[in-house]
Amino acid sequence: MTPAPTGSAPAPTAPTARTGIDWVAVVAALVTVAAFVRAIWFTPPDLLQGYAQKIMYVHVPTIWVAFLALGLSALAGAFWLFLKDPRLDRFAESSAEVGVVFTTGVLITGPIWAKPIWGAWWVWDARLTLTLVLWFLFLGYLVLRGAIDDRELRARYSAVVGLLGALLIPFVHLSVYIFRTQHPMPVVANPEGIQMPAVMQVTFFFSLFAFTLMYVAFVRARMALATDRDALEDASTAER
Amino acid sequence: MPDNVAYFHAAYAATIALLIGYAVSIVVRRRRVAQRRAQRATAGGRGA
Repeated sequence: MTPAPTGSAPAPTAPTARTGIDWVAVVAALVTVAAFVRAIWFTPPDLLQGYAQKIMYVHVPTIWVAFLALGLSALAGAFWLFLKDPRLDRFAESSAEVGVVFTTGVLITGPIWAKPIWGAWWVWDARLTLTLVLWFLFLGYLVLRGAIDDRELRARYSAVVGLLGALLIPFVHLSVYIFRTQHPMPVVANPEGIQMPAVMQVTFFFSLFAFTLMYVAFVRARMALATDRDALEDASTAER
Repeated sequence: MPDNVAYFHAAYAATIALLIGYAVSIVVRRRRVAQRRAQRATAGGRGA
């Protein structure tokens, strides 16, 4: 058996195997299409809010995925600080990017719902403002990653920034309880139970499931991209 | 019931555009990396 080299550079990253169709992505896309069809054509509108209420079936799952993605990114970063496994850093990077995309979705669909219901696209209420701050923080995280070439330094700095940024997530969620906000109280994660009729609950949870699958598919694809990019960088470095 | 169906359509269209746009961005970036890898392999083959 060949002994492992000691004190040498880390093993070069192997590129991902290209196996054609990504079935996780295909299933996620199909389930998401089904969730959209159910929300659009097979779920009744709300009597008081009208069709604008149906925006909730994309808005709430979007913020759920954003919290999940940014939270897991921070967790992976924290583990990287101890284990130094490059896969953890690639996961943190990928999950953060997906989280930023979904937070962008929240910041787009929220104002579209707010205009007909509140009469204003945006109000500087605690929930909205904290969500915007969270988006800026993780946008900064991605910019930071792009600005540092050294892989280990980049992983360390971004792990710390990701952890600090993720501390905001509980405050965003609890802001409607802590502050007097215009944003509605949660209809699902509500201490008094789910505040929704059964037909809407089915649509809501189906949509939540679909968006979670989308998250898995996006992170897998984004991680494959990060792995291939690192493999290319390693090969170029080895040549020099 | 208030008439606000246009906002509902706009929100769904924006979400679909965002999801598709992001998926396309990943595919494009992966292709770019694969092309660079192929170029490197070709250049390496010629140099050998």
